[in-house]
Amino acid sequence: MRPRVNPALFFLLPALTLIAVFYVVPLALSIYIGFTPLRNWNIAGGYLSQVTLENYERLFHMVMYDPDIGKVVATTVVFTVVTLAVNVLGGLALALTMYLMDLSGRELSLGFRTLWMLPRMTPIAVYSLMWYYFFLPGEEGILNSIAMRLGLIDEPVNWGNDPDLLPYGAWAILVVVNGLVGVSFGMVVFYAALRSIPREQIVAARVDGASTLHLVLYILIPQLRWHITYVTVWQLLSLLTTYAHIFLLVEWGAVDEFWGSNWALYVFNKAFALGESDQGLAAAAATILVLIGAGLGVLALRLMGFGRMMAEPRGEV
Amino acid sequence: MVEVSLERVTKRFGRVVALDQVSLVFEDGKFTALLGPSGSGKTTLLYIIAGIYKPTSGRIYFGGEDVTDLPPNKRNVGLVFQNYALYPHMTVYDNIAFPLRLRKLPESKIDRKVREVAKMLRIEELLDRYPSQLSGGQQQRVALARALVKEPTVLLLDEPLSNLDALLRVSIRAELKRLQKDLGITTIYVTHDQAEALSMADTVVVIDRGRVQQVDTPQNIYNRPRNLFVATFIGSPPANVLYARLTEKNPSLACVEVNKARFCFEGERAARLSRLGGEEVVLAFRPERARLGTEPRSDMLSIPAEVYVVETLGRENVVTLVVGASMVKVVTPPSQVPRLGESYYVLVDPRDVMLFDPVTELNIDYIEA
Amino acid sequence: MARLALRRARAEARAAERVMGDVETLRSARRAYLLAAVLGAASLPMVLLYLLLVLSSFADTIVTGPDILEARYSLDNWLMFFRGEVAPAAGRLYTTADILATIANTAIVALGVTAVVVFTSVLAGYAFSRMRFRWRRGLMTFIILLHAFPGVALIIAVYAMYVWSSMPLARSEGAMVAYAFAFTVLARASLELPMSIWLMKGFFDRIPWEVEWSALIDGASRLRAWWQIVLPQVKPGIAALAIFAFLAGWEDLIYVHVFLYIGTAGKVKTLATLIEELTANIETSYLPVVAAAGTLYLLPTILFFVLTQKLLLEAYSGGLKA
Ligand SMILES: Nc1ncnc2c1ncn2[C@@H]1O[C@H](COP(=O)(O)OP(=O)(O)OP(=O)(O)O)[C@@H](O)[C@H]1O
Ligand SMILES: [Mg+2]
Repeated sequence: MRPRVNPALFFLLPALTLIAVFYVVPLALSIYIGFTPLRNWNIAGGYLSQVTLENYERLFHMVMYDPDIGKVVATTVVFTVVTLAVNVLGGLALALTMYLMDLSGRELSLGFRTLWMLPRMTPIAVYSLMWYYFFLPGEEGILNSIAMRLGLIDEPVNWGNDPDLLPYGAWAILVVVNGLVGVSFGMVVFYAALRSIPREQIVAARVDGASTLHLVLYILIPQLRWHITYVTVWQLLSLLTTYAHIFLLVEWGAVDEFWGSNWALYVFNKAFALGESDQGLAAAAATILVLIGAGLGVLALRLMGFGRMMAEPRGEV
Repeated sequence: MVEVSLERVTKRFGRVVALDQVSLVFEDGKFTALLGPSGSGKTTLLYIIAGIYKPTSGRIYFGGEDVTDLPPNKRNVGLVFQNYALYPHMTVYDNIAFPLRLRKLPESKIDRKVREVAKMLRIEELLDRYPSQLSGGQQQRVALARALVKEPTVLLLDEPLSNLDALLRVSIRAELKRLQKDLGITTIYVTHDQAEALSMADTVVVIDRGRVQQVDTPQNIYNRPRNLFVATFIGSPPANVLYARLTEKNPSLACVEVNKARFCFEGERAARLSRLGGEEVVLAFRPERARLGTEPRSDMLSIPAEVYVVETLGRENVVTLVVGASMVKVVTPPSQVPRLGESYYVLVDPRDVMLFDPVTELNIDYIEA
Repeated sequence: MARLALRRARAEARAAERVMGDVETLRSARRAYLLAAVLGAASLPMVLLYLLLVLSSFADTIVTGPDILEARYSLDNWLMFFRGEVAPAAGRLYTTADILATIANTAIVALGVTAVVVFTSVLAGYAFSRMRFRWRRGLMTFIILLHAFPGVALIIAVYAMYVWSSMPLARSEGAMVAYAFAFTVLARASLELPMSIWLMKGFFDRIPWEVEWSALIDGASRLRAWWQIVLPQVKPGIAALAIFAFLAGWEDLIYVHVFLYIGTAGKVKTLATLIEELTANIETSYLPVVAAAGTLYLLPTILFFVLTQKLLLEAYSGGLKA
């Protein structure tokens, strides 16, 4: 037999090329840039040949002593933890409600499930725009307008920037905006899991006289334990690295620049700021995220039971 | 068309040995049934002939040609899968035409051939339908049509009738047999339904745990099983098996004793028995070849037994009796309905008694001198 | 006979289900509707958010809720938008052609991402589902892991690569713009690859092997069996994939912002960066017109959404079958 190229290569080549060019090379490059003093995208300026630890030293120094970076770190922690809780618990609440609704035999939940997917699919610029209108500082802001009409406040409030409300105002906005996007993931996973629970179990519980609350606490939620862990890990990973939905709110001034930025957005803005930009520092800061992300990613894959989903191909043709 | 032969073919899946040194010849134009219990390697053997699996070792020949390394699309075999594997997105017509289109035949010729085979299998009025709109039996015939239309040199059928109801199965069985004879295609038919194998095949291959147990005519498989496995696997209910003591081991006279009943064999049988190593022999007979009598007979093996269960099946009765520590089954005519607890003699003509070496489990008739 | 038996079996199954329904459901349908009402109330603010955006696009002011009935509605904002009068206070910054080009740019990116994602993931998904090659498992694990990598870390280096590789093109503006588009599309599509490949693999996994083998035995080559037998059966999967990819390309902000907007110094805009720019210049922008732009931008999303809700939910949860 003449040796021949595995035909799988032909099928894999386009994807592998893209992955090499847009993941592998950039990842390595990004880590490398973190060790160079690259600034203002001056690629040709010779910065790329100077290897230094300076960025990490600066980063360490900033985290320790720069109050603005302190704000960013605090925001990252609070934003991630609170939004995660909102996502997981919210997703669970939504899924349970929808599941219980559907137990009556009517598919009442389809419309709702679709509706709650909407924030995730909405163009980010439009989604940001809607929240921008919502939290607009003046009287024409939706929240201000409603609150004033209800007599809750006398004057329009600058929700994301008012020093009296900081940092909680900005944080609340971040959590609401991102929480609504993330909640659908848990919802979909939990709902699918609930639907796969054999109906006999529920009949049996009902026959035994379980109330709906008992049903939820002792039959349904215990069976979701694995899914809850999985969603938590995966969502934690997403929240650590997300910045797109916050980006415009900060740019448009809807929230405070530092109390409204998480680590990822700070990195992005450091690299792509219109005036002075500092890619070396940004890349170093990003590398820290990469390390955390890789760890969480491996954990998530473990939880996914990835191995079981990769059956060996059959036949030898 | 072509003779298919396998030469010491072994197939391993990891640690599982699905086929173990299988050497077989499927004669040109003959209908061979491949019979064996679940997991014995029947499908694996078929896939190896079709080229879907590559043997771990050994060679495969079509006629004189070594096809071991030939991919399936170069082998010109027809294969009907257990689940039919019709193309769900194509009409019946397109399903059947697919192999011909691949050969780039002119459309007019394709049309003629498709209609011809459809007519033969009586599926002409189904040609515009999709597979999902067909019954199991219709799908089966479409799959067969698709396998036949390309005029394969070898036709491979993997339990094609297993999804059909009993009535349809009998009629299609006959149809298939006639079709095969008319076309003269070398056909290998996998089944674990022995009635099917015995009634249709020119040759039956019995396989167990990846090893060929016997290759023979249906009559011989039934009457002269080569080993204990074949004896107990074939037949419904299966053959009765009893351990007997050899009390006399002369080349001219050999006697066995089972449950205090003694019987002596003479001539060839005696000579073979006398050559056995130990003091024991395994004795087997078919339930339908035994009778129940109230008295022992000197010209027959007569084993005293007590009735344990009686199953009345209408056309016949199946009586289970206790013989010492074992059970035997005997088929009796409807007129004879023994009562529970009654004592009888199980009478078997010595020609219907099969004898096996307890160590090798080989039928002593097959042991070379 | 057989058919009758089948019908009876079906009827029995249905009856059993009814009985079960009687025992296990929420005790009454009324409770189900109560839950639906609660959930509806919880969803109301979100609906309101979308509704107010759409209403504002027709109103003479940003509609904030209490004033829904007070605002005057007309098509003026939409007309102004298409005339390019998006920031009246700053004069006429855009022409109709600019607006149409912006919409076209958005579509080009979305369609480009769709094409690249579909092409590469259909091929790769098949390989991961059906073919033997070394590192198969490891490679799939790696690809899934990529999905978890922080986008920021990637985009800095990808932009550096863009800046570096586009230097020779600097003299020709046309080439520069084309290159920016290509880079945006490829980079954004790559971001979708891990999940798309995984999704497609799942669709291929569901096709019985026997059907593919049948084709091989019928005389087809592996490639032809893939093309003529396997692919047609995953059409629904490809459709789902295409819709996802299109929406991903359409909704994107960061990549068009970085490569098309910054990369061409603001010359090439999409709806996302146009809205970004207009809202950033809030002193001169007329917000109801921006609302019209936003509504237009939202439209395809909603449309796909209504058309494919079941598919969407299925595919979204299809990644994991525990
Ligand atoms: N792809 C495979 N990987 C691992 N083991 C396999 C594979 N295919 C078959 N086997 C094993 O090889 C043995 C023979 O399998 P095969 O499918 O040939 O049996 P069979 O005789 O067709 O059984 P059945 O009557 O149930 O169809 C079995 O033990 C089976 O588990
Ligand atoms: Mg089989």
